[in-house]
Amino acid sequence: MNSENKKRPLAGVRALELAEIWAGPYCGALLGDMGAEIVKVESIQRISRGAINPRPGSPGYPDGDPGERPWNRSANFNVLNRNKQGITLDLTSARGVEIFKELAAVSDVVFCNSAFGVMEKFGLGYEELRQVKQDLIVLFMPGYGNTGPYKGIRSMGMSIDAISGHSSLRGYPDLGLHRLSPVHHPDAVGGVTAAFAVCAAIHNRARTGKGQFIDMSQAEAFVPHLGEIFLEYGLTGQPRERRGNRHPAMAPHGAYPCRGEDAWVAISVRSEREWRELCQIIGSTQMSDDPRFKTLESRLENVDALDDAISKWTSERDHRRVADLLQAHGIPAGPVLDCDGDTYDDPHLQQRDYFQTVTHPDAGTHLLSGPMWKSASAPQPRHEPAPSLGQHNNQVLEEVLGFTSDEMQSLEQTKVIGTVPLEGSDLGGVRRVQRGN
Amino acid sequence: MPLLALEGIRVLEVTDGIAGPYCAKMLADLGAEVMKIERLDAVSMTQRQWAGERVETSLTVEDTALFLHLNTNKKSVAVDLESADGQSLFRKLATQSSIVVESLAPGRMESLGLSYNSLKDLNPSLVMTSVTPYGQTGPYKDYQYTELTVFATGGGMHREGIPERHPLKYGGEIAQYFAGTAAASATMGASVGALMTGQGDWLDVSIMECMAGHPHQIGRRAPFAYNGELDPRREPRTSAAGGREPYAVGTFQCKDGHVSFLPLGPRMWPNIARMIGKTELMDDPRFNSPELRTDNRIELEAIFQEWLDRHTRAEVFEATNNAGIPGGPVLTPTDVMNDEHFQERGFFRELEHPEHGALSYPGVPFGFSEVDDVPGHAAPALGEHTVEALSQILGMDEAKIGSLREAGIVS
Repeated sequence: MNSENKKRPLAGVRALELAEIWAGPYCGALLGDMGAEIVKVESIQRISRGAINPRPGSPGYPDGDPGERPWNRSANFNVLNRNKQGITLDLTSARGVEIFKELAAVSDVVFCNSAFGVMEKFGLGYEELRQVKQDLIVLFMPGYGNTGPYKGIRSMGMSIDAISGHSSLRGYPDLGLHRLSPVHHPDAVGGVTAAFAVCAAIHNRARTGKGQFIDMSQAEAFVPHLGEIFLEYGLTGQPRERRGNRHPAMAPHGAYPCRGEDAWVAISVRSEREWRELCQIIGSTQMSDDPRFKTLESRLENVDALDDAISKWTSERDHRRVADLLQAHGIPAGPVLDCDGDTYDDPHLQQRDYFQTVTHPDAGTHLLSGPMWKSASAPQPRHEPAPSLGQHNNQVLEEVLGFTSDEMQSLEQTKVIGTVPLEGSDLGGVRRVQRGN
Repeated sequence: MPLLALEGIRVLEVTDGIAGPYCAKMLADLGAEVMKIERLDAVSMTQRQWAGERVETSLTVEDTALFLHLNTNKKSVAVDLESADGQSLFRKLATQSSIVVESLAPGRMESLGLSYNSLKDLNPSLVMTSVTPYGQTGPYKDYQYTELTVFATGGGMHREGIPERHPLKYGGEIAQYFAGTAAASATMGASVGALMTGQGDWLDVSIMECMAGHPHQIGRRAPFAYNGELDPRREPRTSAAGGREPYAVGTFQCKDGHVSFLPLGPRMWPNIARMIGKTELMDDPRFNSPELRTDNRIELEAIFQEWLDRHTRAEVFEATNNAGIPGGPVLTPTDVMNDEHFQERGFFRELEHPEHGALSYPGVPFGFSEVDDVPGHAAPALGEHTVEALSQILGMDEAKIGSLREAGIVS
């Protein structure tokens, strides 16, 4: 641990991560941001780092080149697994499970986002882990939790989105739900909520000495994000209608086309003052005098005509300029930034040093996304490159558990550990799932 | 010995909107004592929920629902923070608190004499979390926001929807809740540090940056950083990476509603063929490779749809579970409340509010095995706990509290 990291709030906390795809790895990234030592446990038998033999030119690799070790060069994997150490262990072998338990005995936290029952099948359920270390904090976060009729059901962000109620509220109101684009946002909510729960349990343990099993359902982490919609139904008996970009108490309220290809600006007008100011900015007495647009009620009634009028003005202008101009008059507006170049070019993010230069030994040097928050006292959350497969086998097994080089050699020979995926270990479609989110 | 996870942790909350209150709600739902410091003149739930221009055109029912949801398990203390006496009360409370969660405009706490630096001198282990749309610094720091505009700026919006139309926001107030959750994680992490070292922190949480740092956003931006790859809006059936196996992906109509699927690439194909009872498709020359299935997607999807038309959401859900395909019924919020799984886990809980009666509330997203669940009470009335805070925490007598009340400092 470098000296900067000692000043981070979770310094000295060791967590074992058994996690794939989005939700679990993101939990680990956040705990790592805060200074915890995250040991990501993978295996050479099951690779969730993209295809092991992708064709040249496959998407998601530096300069389109998967290289000799594509599993260490996947864009998605590398940004989601910042701030971690990586080891491999074959948990289908008795020796692998034994070593995992030895590590758990010197760790504070174990977290896993696999389907319900996976850890129990390895012999690594909470009861077994607790035998190894009484005050261990263990969080298992299958999509629907560790109890109840859906506990064994496989989930992905998109199916959780459907079951939580969110999918039914999305999309263009005039198009059927079969035209919905896939949204996997519950993955993100699950990861961040799990990081919160782990920190709360660490805090509790520091005061009581007690460990904890945390049963987390990713669906239940997300449902409260729609909380008012459930209560609104309780208050009125009326289900919420889909709204698209529109709002029943604000007009204009939408994304309006701007100059350039697929460029848009989002505008919300919250009050009559803001409406009058907007008319002045646009310089259209025609619009301010138009009886169809006089009041909120009439604007809502004529919202298509209103949107047309606004679009006519915005479409000749730059999306950032429009937003800045409206904001100068206190009107909520923002450019609809794409997550590619637009975001990198954003002056606000630039000035806040949001992006960080990261050098990965197998993938090269890139300007990558920063953490989600800033801290006044602790060093800024860091962005250390993701581990290559099995990169820290020696460091962790020799330095932490005191294995000899003979033992290490034997583990390699028996394929309990390694740094190169075995043939057939490729999880195939997983990488495509990652890219598409 | 505390019986609740965060018992004995006192939190002062000075917020409006959603992200700040939701951050504090997560702490309250694990047993922290959250004191919501409110304006004396914020009487309606709309005024208690939102500040400024937003109040003028607000929606009474929706704001009431928001306020009720966001403020379960909290206490309400009404103090005029514009007054010197009110500010002094806040400082005294802060010396006896672990956490402050605030969402005022950047610089506003400082102008009230309540900056982190001044509070830190009184209480070095204090964790202060500031949750604002754009953070405490930078050219956008004073920008106004709604869910729509901050979601757009955070990069979440541009690829939602279909190519020939405008980009879409999600349903609900998603960016604000997401940032509130991130703020709660940051707050809890910093609180661990404060407990260990006695050193608190000031956290600057920006809703825009939470969305920009959202795992899917960084996952989309990474291929751009690595290889200049763009990720625009696509047709819904253009699955995942866009290329192969784009059938049976996305949201489909079935007999009594809609269902969503996300099969994981070619290895799921046999499961899908078996699920729809058409194993002969596996040998069908139109469909027996990923490339052919992609090329002949329309035909394949028609076969798939024909099966869907004959089955209900529940039947399809059962079939996907048997086939090991991640999928689920598209439930409305009302469906969710009545769903057997959520019911068996006791997720929704009924809380009684004196004005609004008994309502079903979404519960806490996790269960801790070694501590008790927080019993749960509905949102407090304005100033319901003012006297309790002043007498029990600050040791004031009735006469002192009475004079503060008369002077319009508290209510």
